[in-house]
Amino acid sequence: MGREAILISIRENKPTLLPLPDIDLNAFSEETNLAERFKDNVKLVGGRIKEIALADLDREIKEMFPNAKQIVCELENSSLGNISIFENTDPHDLALIDLAIIKGDLGVAENGSIWISENQFTLRALPFITNDLAIVLSKEAICLHMLNAYELIAQRERNFGLFISGPSKTADIEQCLVIGAQGAMSLTVYVV
Amino acid sequence: MSHSKKAEIFNKNEAKVNWHDKALWYVREKRDLSAHKVQGWEYLRELASGIKANVLSNLDEYLIQFEKNAQKNGIKVHWASNAEEHNIIVNNILAEHNAKKVVKSKSMLTEECHLNPYLESKGIEVIDTDLGERIVQLAKESPSHIVLPAIHKTKEEVDILFQEYLGTKPNFGNPEYLTHEARKHLRDKFLKADAAITGVNFAIADTGGFVVCTNEGNADMGAHLAKVHIACMGIEKIIPKEKHLGIFLRLLARSATGQPITTYSSHFNKPATGKEMHIVIVDNGRTEQLSREDFRASLHCIRCGACMNTCPIYRRSGGHSYDATIPGPIGSILSPGMDMKKHSSLPFASTLCGSCSNVCPVKINIHKQLYKWRQVIVKQQKQPLLKNSILKIAGVVLSKPRLYSLSGKSARFILKKAPKFMIYNRLNTWGKARDLPEVKNEIFDEWYKKRTKNG
Ligand code: SF4
Repeated sequence: MGREAILISIRENKPTLLPLPDIDLNAFSEETNLAERFKDNVKLVGGRIKEIALADLDREIKEMFPNAKQIVCELENSSLGNISIFENTDPHDLALIDLAIIKGDLGVAENGSIWISENQFTLRALPFITNDLAIVLSKEAICLHMLNAYELIAQRERNFGLFISGPSKTADIEQCLVIGAQGAMSLTVYVV
Repeated sequence: MSHSKKAEIFNKNEAKVNWHDKALWYVREKRDLSAHKVQGWEYLRELASGIKANVLSNLDEYLIQFEKNAQKNGIKVHWASNAEEHNIIVNNILAEHNAKKVVKSKSMLTEECHLNPYLESKGIEVIDTDLGERIVQLAKESPSHIVLPAIHKTKEEVDILFQEYLGTKPNFGNPEYLTHEARKHLRDKFLKADAAITGVNFAIADTGGFVVCTNEGNADMGAHLAKVHIACMGIEKIIPKEKHLGIFLRLLARSATGQPITTYSSHFNKPATGKEMHIVIVDNGRTEQLSREDFRASLHCIRCGACMNTCPIYRRSGGHSYDATIPGPIGSILSPGMDMKKHSSLPFASTLCGSCSNVCPVKINIHKQLYKWRQVIVKQQKQPLLKNSILKIAGVVLSKPRLYSLSGKSARFILKKAPKFMIYNRLNTWGKARDLPEVKNEIFDEWYKKRTKNG
């Protein structure tokens, strides 16, 4: 039953060992403006993107989200947060959060996604349960494609992390794209 | 009931069939646009196929490695030979936590194992949280497509369904209103859930982590709120190294919907403090498929749905006509391996045009495998029922049964040689009520004569 039976059955039925292909990264290299490509793709996937000076961050966010009342901010260089969360905070308490502001580690130009990880936010539920999400990303931290991205995040502490690309969405009703399914209703990326 | 009979039922509503056909073809076109933007796309497919072939040839070692690394990170690993064992394991985990309310994100494996009815029989509420899956769950149906579960439903049908179950106002099928009402309804379910069940898109041997991809964020809403997360995976979901995700994630969403990547590609490596994370590794007929040399490559499948979107038969017969957990071309290779008797008509639900193999991101030779299944089935099952259905199947969905039953090659030839507008324009779309234009017949005749001449 279970484990042993499965492993035995695989051994009996698997083909002779085939080699793991080598990956030639040169096949994917391209001359391109990473920042522009990234920007276009963030928009393509339904996100907003703005290049700003770090000093203007709070003003920019306030302007973009004038009605946000409950704000969790996981950045040192912003004073907008008015709700503190800790590792032992019950994630259910985040249900009424209007806005979460977190740091992104890495942007991927080919698809407009951003790697964010638990190392940058206290509770895993935060970027999903918040109504709006703002990610602050350094303009130096943009790579071309996913293979580059995995090289760059290879040394991280592995707990939980994700590539996030735009706001939550669905086209499950007659293929009509609707923004705001079960996760955050909007994603705004601030490139600093 | 055979595929042809079920397809006939679906074809009764012509307007809906036409819509279904066009909607899926549109998704196929989006896939093309998106794929063409990627430098090295064909090379990516080759790599993905090569990696999957290596995985199958070393699957036992990779699974052991995965288990060891996952356990090191505090994830609990379970193994299930079949659907029944899988369901028992899941139920036992839930029972340990006295979990009565469960939210589930998309997992074709749990569909295959019929987990929902099993858990419901134990008094557990299971809510499917992907919008499309929630729609079919409320309608007491099964998904008709692996990526677009409710593609067979019109917005007006969803409107009526939601009025009945979610108390929404009549709205002439407004997708935005309906989606946001579903969001409220599902939020409540997420907040009250005791446990979350998700599928697994990729499990990584060298880290012991796994990746779940969604557009809605439902897998994450479930997994991060509930105290227990159970992820269920078939043995073939393993990939050797984390860096290989760089290949598969570039292919998956582009092939599926034409998006450059899914909204959320979540990497789970460790349970959060104070929470539990379980993985159930399931065989359920997969090692048997592994033993079949001709059909083994079907286990490469990453469930993108591209072969369905492109298939002229699928588009005009609907997912339910296949009466199988995985419909469409890939389902027609997988299902006979699970239950040959029940699914013997499926390999015939194809023109063998090869479009499926052309779009498949992991380069499964789908149409060749369909052809091979036909040979196996004809040899093994000589009863008249089947002979009849061979003739009927293509005939119901296509228009000239005699022509198309002669040889799979003939249909493929026509599709390859005919200009695109002939294959895909509205008049010539495969449909019961439509005759293919005579010119096709001529092409076929000419070709056939030439073929016989040249031996
Ligand atoms: S067989 Fe290929 S095209 Fe079809 S769902 Fe699987 S991966 Fe996608």
